[in-house]
Amino acid sequence: MDNNHSTNELRPLYENGRKGFTARLSGYVRNIKKYSYLLKQLIRTDIVVAYKRSFIGLSWLVITPILSVLVWVLLHSAGIIDPGEMDIPYPAYVLLSTSIWSFFQGSYSITSNVINNSGRFMVSAKFPHEVLVAQQIMVHCINFITPFLINIITLLLYGIKFHLIALLFPFALIPVLLLGTGIGLLVALLRIVAVDFSRLADQLIGFLMFLTPIVFAPKIELPWLSNIVKFNPLTYLIGFPRDLLTQGKFYETNLYLMCSGVSILFFFFCISVFMKYEERLLERLIIV
Amino acid sequence: MDEDKIILSVKGIYKKFTKDIKYNMYYGMRDMFINPAPKYMTLRKQEFWALQDINFDLYEGEILGIVGANGSGKTSLMRLISGIYPLDKGQILARPGKNITSVFALKAGMQPLFTGRENIHIKGALFGMTKDDIERKMAFIESFSELGDKLDSPFGNYSSGMSARLAYSIAIANDPDIFIVDEALAVGDSVFKSKCFEHLKNYVKQPGKGVLFVSNNIHKLLRVASRIIVMDEGKLIYESSDIQKALHFYINNCLRHIDDVRRQKMLETVEYYDL
Repeated sequence: MDNNHSTNELRPLYENGRKGFTARLSGYVRNIKKYSYLLKQLIRTDIVVAYKRSFIGLSWLVITPILSVLVWVLLHSAGIIDPGEMDIPYPAYVLLSTSIWSFFQGSYSITSNVINNSGRFMVSAKFPHEVLVAQQIMVHCINFITPFLINIITLLLYGIKFHLIALLFPFALIPVLLLGTGIGLLVALLRIVAVDFSRLADQLIGFLMFLTPIVFAPKIELPWLSNIVKFNPLTYLIGFPRDLLTQGKFYETNLYLMCSGVSILFFFFCISVFMKYEERLLERLIIV
Repeated sequence: MDEDKIILSVKGIYKKFTKDIKYNMYYGMRDMFINPAPKYMTLRKQEFWALQDINFDLYEGEILGIVGANGSGKTSLMRLISGIYPLDKGQILARPGKNITSVFALKAGMQPLFTGRENIHIKGALFGMTKDDIERKMAFIESFSELGDKLDSPFGNYSSGMSARLAYSIAIANDPDIFIVDEALAVGDSVFKSKCFEHLKNYVKQPGKGVLFVSNNIHKLLRVASRIIVMDEGKLIYESSDIQKALHFYINNCLRHIDDVRRQKMLETVEYYDL
């Protein structure tokens, strides 16, 4: 076949050269902006589809957290859980802690499954996959708002008084979101090529909840557990926003800032790895 | 053919995949952590060429039919051209600013619990259209798909033919310059399919438009294609503007592994059913 024709006007359709981190990141931001209507549609779809077949629909957003509050109140009033020394009522403490933990764990879970759950979609249409990542994170944040508001009402019922500084709470959650998302993005890649590692990561994240002061207080008698809690960054990433909201005070500020800095750097490292290998690994995805 | 009318040029494309699941994962991990730039032209154990040295051009005004037995690499090639798979070796050239729209899986991105009309917004956005673009094209999509009131029913209740009507109408509303149709019109009733073929033929008469039409339906290709390329085991093995001749080559090639007597018999059967 003769292919010696003039192709003066033609330009490469896709760049296959290696791009630096900044170029990739700015490309990500540009694509999310360009496909903002797709992002909006996907967010709407994700939220509505979960309740579309339900007669009470979005009311589930309120019912589920209320049930969760009731469980902790019942467990505590029955004396099943002994949390140790507390500055605020136990149900209020555990409610807020589990809520922040769920925010972390959820950000890990949704991003770590982003390729597996959307694989068929990703190989059937050309669109920037960063839109899917952004959609998952935004849906996660939106889904956090309702249970969080229920928690606030519960905290008020327990006599918690909020300080003006508590308004910083949403910002104080950013590091824990970035940490969960970063780990999730790395595990999303491992789910394609190293299933055993990804399963191990799921187990470790689940186990980590018991090594973080969520259902127990940070002041622990057991020395080995106390040491683990001390070196666990989530102790500070969860404890800081919790104390900020419930007591208007800064919990271990220096350690929180240090862990936040590391979380932000870790997130950028993970996103650069994800951006570099996601497209390459997608072709190895076996859709089940 | 006029060289100035080339709108897409595929040059020396190679693509390899791995046969075995565990080797597939192992190489994925190895390429990621140990050797990020493996020698692409060397096949490792359990790897095979899904595409080998593919070269062809798509000209303005052309409907280029792509045929080949199952597993010959047609869809992999289309995914590379669409940008779904990364390009490892070779080049895909196009005129700057050309809009490529591909229709692979009709239902990709469509939400079964949402109405057809809501899905127009989702699928349109997936093709890169803005809200204004979609609203501007809504009348065209409604009219071309001929779905009437059914546009307000849940997409999950649509038959394959109705899904094809909707997906095809949205894709064409995106006004692609290079339109990739990969077996997308295998379903749908005769009236709608005929309408699409007529539409495609008229569509490519517009300046700067071309279609890559992947199908194994010989009858369809005879009616619609202006040129055919035949693929086999990842290679482009034949190209001709004589559609009848190209399709005979394709059928004979599919039957090349069987003896003369059986081949003749099979050929008669294929011609009876497909031509």
